[in-house]
Amino acid sequence: MMAQASGARAAGEKKATAVKCDNVEVAIKRKLILNGISFDIPAGSLTGLLGPNGAGKSTLMRLLTGLLEPDSGRVELFGRPAGTDRLGELSFLPDRGQLPPHLTAGGWLDLAAGIYPDWNREREEELARELGVYRDKKIGTMSRGEEARLQLLTCLAREAPLIILDEPFAGVDMISRERIASAVVAEMADGQRTFLIATHDIREMEQLFDRIVLIGEGAIRGVHDVEELRLGGRSVESCYRDVFS
Amino acid sequence: MPPIRGWTAQDFQIDPSRPLYEQFVEQIRAMIARGELEPGTRLPSVRETAASLRVNPTTVMKAYQELERLELIVTFRGQGTFVTQAEEAIRLTRRQLAKEAVRRLEETARSIGITLEELWELSREKE
Repeated sequence: MMAQASGARAAGEKKATAVKCDNVEVAIKRKLILNGISFDIPAGSLTGLLGPNGAGKSTLMRLLTGLLEPDSGRVELFGRPAGTDRLGELSFLPDRGQLPPHLTAGGWLDLAAGIYPDWNREREEELARELGVYRDKKIGTMSRGEEARLQLLTCLAREAPLIILDEPFAGVDMISRERIASAVVAEMADGQRTFLIATHDIREMEQLFDRIVLIGEGAIRGVHDVEELRLGGRSVESCYRDVFS
Repeated sequence: MPPIRGWTAQDFQIDPSRPLYEQFVEQIRAMIARGELEPGTRLPSVRETAASLRVNPTTVMKAYQELERLELIVTFRGQGTFVTQAEEAIRLTRRQLAKEAVRRLEETARSIGITLEELWELSREKE
């Protein structure tokens, strides 16, 4: 009875908003990098942030992490302003981030487990199996694909409700890309986590997205529900081409 | 009982410009109709399927829901999702697939100005 009642309530509720940007502007050295950015990301969704190089994707992601403040406008995570005090609620994989090369994977994971209060050792072990990360391997001897898998593991072993990945596939071999995509999907299956992924690899990722946010020259160029696009006979790739070419 | 059947991305041909869940429904339905997925086969969970096919879990959930509505798969709480053992549901699906195929053939026949019977005869005519 109880379960039924709460199920009915959940079905009637509107999905919470994980990320909200309202008319955000950022200028760096008097150059406008982000201009009038407004969009929402519903909680529990996997949103792709797509756009050409230099569009402002990384700047936008840094705003969400609170590492950068907007010159005007508002950025909210789960209904409250973003900022460095919210870092515990999000897990961020920076573009071209590097892990300490002198450590082994296991050494790094032990260090990370000590840094993050929300680290889950059981998840860490499960993810290491799924992603094929070996504890004995030294980071300095890893291929780009192996290091990318270890970085993703570092993001996902935490229990943060919002995961932000900046170009998780850049320079990564096909097999590693597939393993990363599988781990991301498995991770969101219970609907508890929200993912925002900036990527160039549209073909690899388009079956994963619920929603896409297109950004070009510092402005939002479209926000689409992906299945609605397909109902109209369009793929993510064709939509991207229509907007950017 | 037949063992659990895991999917790989190669089991499906997906067109990215059509709703994905519809394509999974069509292709799994055809696998059941032709007996490639035997009655009683246990299907992998939504999470496993999403991970192995690398598609959004919502897509898999919608596909499974639709197949359940068509009575081709059944979910037993705590045990998993299985291909139906009901011969009647499978027969009904085969009949629907046959009807759809005939309808497409009729369209082809009409497009060249003949009936289905004439199309059949014509295709069997000797040189």
